[in-house]
Amino acid sequence: MPGARVPSSGSEMPKPLNVIGGEGTELDTGIPRSWLTTKIDYVVNWARRNSIWPMPFGTACCAIEMMAAAASKYDIGRFGMERMSFSPRQADLMIVAGRVSYKLAPVMRRIWDQMPQPKWCISMGACASSGGMFDNYTIVQGIDQIVPVDVYVPGCPPRPEGLIYALLMIQEKIKGETLSDSSVRDEAPDSVGRPNLPPEAIELVAQPFGNSTKQNRMSGLVQTAAVNRPRDRKERLAEHKD
Amino acid sequence: MTLTQTPASTTLIRSEPVQGADPGDHPSVIALRERFGSDVRRVTTDALGYPVVWLAPARNLAALRFLHEDPGQSYDLLADLTGAHRGVGMPIEVWYQLWSMRHGRQLRVVCETPLDDLTIDSVTSLWDTADWLERETFDMFGVTFRGHSDLRRILMPENYEEGFPLRKDFPLRGRFSRSEQVRRCLTRSFEDVYAMRELELAGYTGDGASGLRELQPEERLEDASTEELEGEPMLINMGPQHPATHGVLRLVLQLDGERILKCIPHIGYLHTGFEKTCEYREWNQVVPYTDRMDYLAPMLYNIGYAGAVESLLDLEITPRCRVVRVILSELNRILGHLLWLGTTAIDIGAFTVFLYTFKERERIYNLHEAYCGGRITTSVTRVGGMVADLPVGWVDAALDFIQSFPATLDECDRLLKRNAIWMGRLSDIGTISAEDAVSFGLTGPNLRASGLAYDVRKARPYLGYEEYDFDVPVGSHGDVYDRYLVRLEEMRQSVRIIEQALQRLPDGPIDVDDYGVVLPPKSEAMGSIDTMIAHFKLVMEGLHVPAGETWYSIESSKGELGIGLISDGGTKPVRCRFRAPSFINIAALPYLVQGELVADVIAVNASLDVVLGEIDR
Repeated sequence: MPGARVPSSGSEMPKPLNVIGGEGTELDTGIPRSWLTTKIDYVVNWARRNSIWPMPFGTACCAIEMMAAAASKYDIGRFGMERMSFSPRQADLMIVAGRVSYKLAPVMRRIWDQMPQPKWCISMGACASSGGMFDNYTIVQGIDQIVPVDVYVPGCPPRPEGLIYALLMIQEKIKGETLSDSSVRDEAPDSVGRPNLPPEAIELVAQPFGNSTKQNRMSGLVQTAAVNRPRDRKERLAEHKD
Repeated sequence: MTLTQTPASTTLIRSEPVQGADPGDHPSVIALRERFGSDVRRVTTDALGYPVVWLAPARNLAALRFLHEDPGQSYDLLADLTGAHRGVGMPIEVWYQLWSMRHGRQLRVVCETPLDDLTIDSVTSLWDTADWLERETFDMFGVTFRGHSDLRRILMPENYEEGFPLRKDFPLRGRFSRSEQVRRCLTRSFEDVYAMRELELAGYTGDGASGLRELQPEERLEDASTEELEGEPMLINMGPQHPATHGVLRLVLQLDGERILKCIPHIGYLHTGFEKTCEYREWNQVVPYTDRMDYLAPMLYNIGYAGAVESLLDLEITPRCRVVRVILSELNRILGHLLWLGTTAIDIGAFTVFLYTFKERERIYNLHEAYCGGRITTSVTRVGGMVADLPVGWVDAALDFIQSFPATLDECDRLLKRNAIWMGRLSDIGTISAEDAVSFGLTGPNLRASGLAYDVRKARPYLGYEEYDFDVPVGSHGDVYDRYLVRLEEMRQSVRIIEQALQRLPDGPIDVDDYGVVLPPKSEAMGSIDTMIAHFKLVMEGLHVPAGETWYSIESSKGELGIGLISDGGTKPVRCRFRAPSFINIAALPYLVQGELVADVIAVNASLDVVLGEIDR
């Protein structure tokens, strides 16, 4: 089935295919008209989205919430996704749960490269999505610099419901895919082990903002107003008098 | 192999009574001054009242050997070894935090190493735990330890080029641009990703395309020439992405058949730069960071950190706050132990227990949510108080929990305790004696399973733990099964403590009555100009903490959690050190799994109850 490609010629819609039996034929079940025609996209997407095998790449706090999502109260087995695949070669969905350091980034990229197409990626939590509160020398400022991400889950950490919602969004996303657009699933062989974004884009998305307005790249190196400790008002008044 | 509650033969380790306010009266200080004369440069007092000996760096090994071996001193636990840098151009201090089990004494020795000669003798010959701690100090500060057998980076990549992160001249975000950091991390070569030592084990030479060479005959196993056993030891890599390493821990195992010849743990894959980042945050802004270190029992870190800052401020918290903190501490001890029980059971192959324990964990999470709104990242403490008072009905909900929780615990215990598989997999593996455990710096349930009743709650009581009636369970064999028994009993003791605490929970305010420390309520801030100024200053400038230093420790669910702080009187810490118990505990793993079967690595690693967020920090 995955090998099937429907040629897309212009605006012509893919021709509906018979899935079970041909037109006007009857199956051995004896029930007349027990066939249906559908789009191959629909069948493929239906099969893919209801049997996702997630690869839990859990590193920190979010991994505990991921475990809670798999445990008795939240139970992601209800969505056909409880089969956690700890081997990337048998997985469809990488859930990056937790902060990723520069030391771990090549490991994550290797695991992503090892996963066969089709594959999706959830970035769970603030740290994985943007570096979160750790805007420092060791944390990757968003894993989308390293691997492509399909769904970002906000929260620090997101509740299990948040993860479940992200899984449902992945299902929605799969629904809209089409086999006729091969570019979605194509991978250039030389992309293996490469960053997902060009250097300029990495600089752009890693710009300090939010909680980092008081800092710059030179923080601690040179005395700027940003790194000066707030002084006592009396001290400043005395200075002002001089 | 049954566990008794504090056998009569085991004596609880307690702190000796304080001699006097003058640090010069401390017996160890007197002895050090006698022996080392002017090499003891000065003696100061810690914020908690115990002495700090400032020693000439050239004599550190001699002095520490004396402190370790002299029967009058016998500081057998190197609780912490770390560095501190107070400013650009200042010398780098190396802190040795010592504790004597025999005398119940605490002492800190500090050596100031000048920047132009950052060399100091290694103390790995005295304490096994110094091995990793010295590597971490080398990694973070660039202090070279003379005589250390394997001094290389531990948290950062092996060939990290940007410098030593915890020095004050190192920028928070590193020296390279973000795109350069990403490029470098993805293009690290063979030598950067793997340690040279393990590459040598695999026969790596560094030249040629494949880089691998044939092992020479003399490098093979001694009995490799016999006909039965031909071949060379096998090297396998476990992690960092592995379901049973409880996080991103990487173990390199050298195997002879199924026996482990050598185990090299690699950590640092989750290095988050907590200690550096906290230096850029105000005192209260550090609290959210503390959650994310031990995310299995977050409130213990919150409470430990708040206690450390309060010791610097010399602040007495309110009676209600003390009891609330005890309740939350013990709830989180249960939370941490429950996760340990569930994941360990999965690792050994018992899935049911995981579901049972997570059901109970959800109930504790509900209590968390009712109190502070968060499940894991709670950030409940503030310096001088808590984020809020307990909500209406919370006490009843907590009572409800501790009344029904022991039944589930007993059910888990019935499933496991006499289970043949459980006993077979856990008994008599990963055994460590009490002396070795102390030398490796093990604390918490891992140490107590070896038969030593050292519990910070009893040894140096904080938050009024001396007023509660509870036992310290100890094991007798020091194996994985004993660690299981000890943790299960600790949960029962925690329930006892919570029961007592809920009964005695006093009324009254939860925050201290000092608007220089805690934020005044909005109604008061709008009511008087003094309160409004206090509010304004706290919000705009932050809390000012008097200059000083402290090393405050509490009993976390993993072991002794020490928090070392240096303040220069400003609104941010100069140094924020977390002595993470898991970091010290996991360092003993190679010793524990030596000669065991490869399947036992899972059980032993699980039994140590490590959390990677805390190991890598």
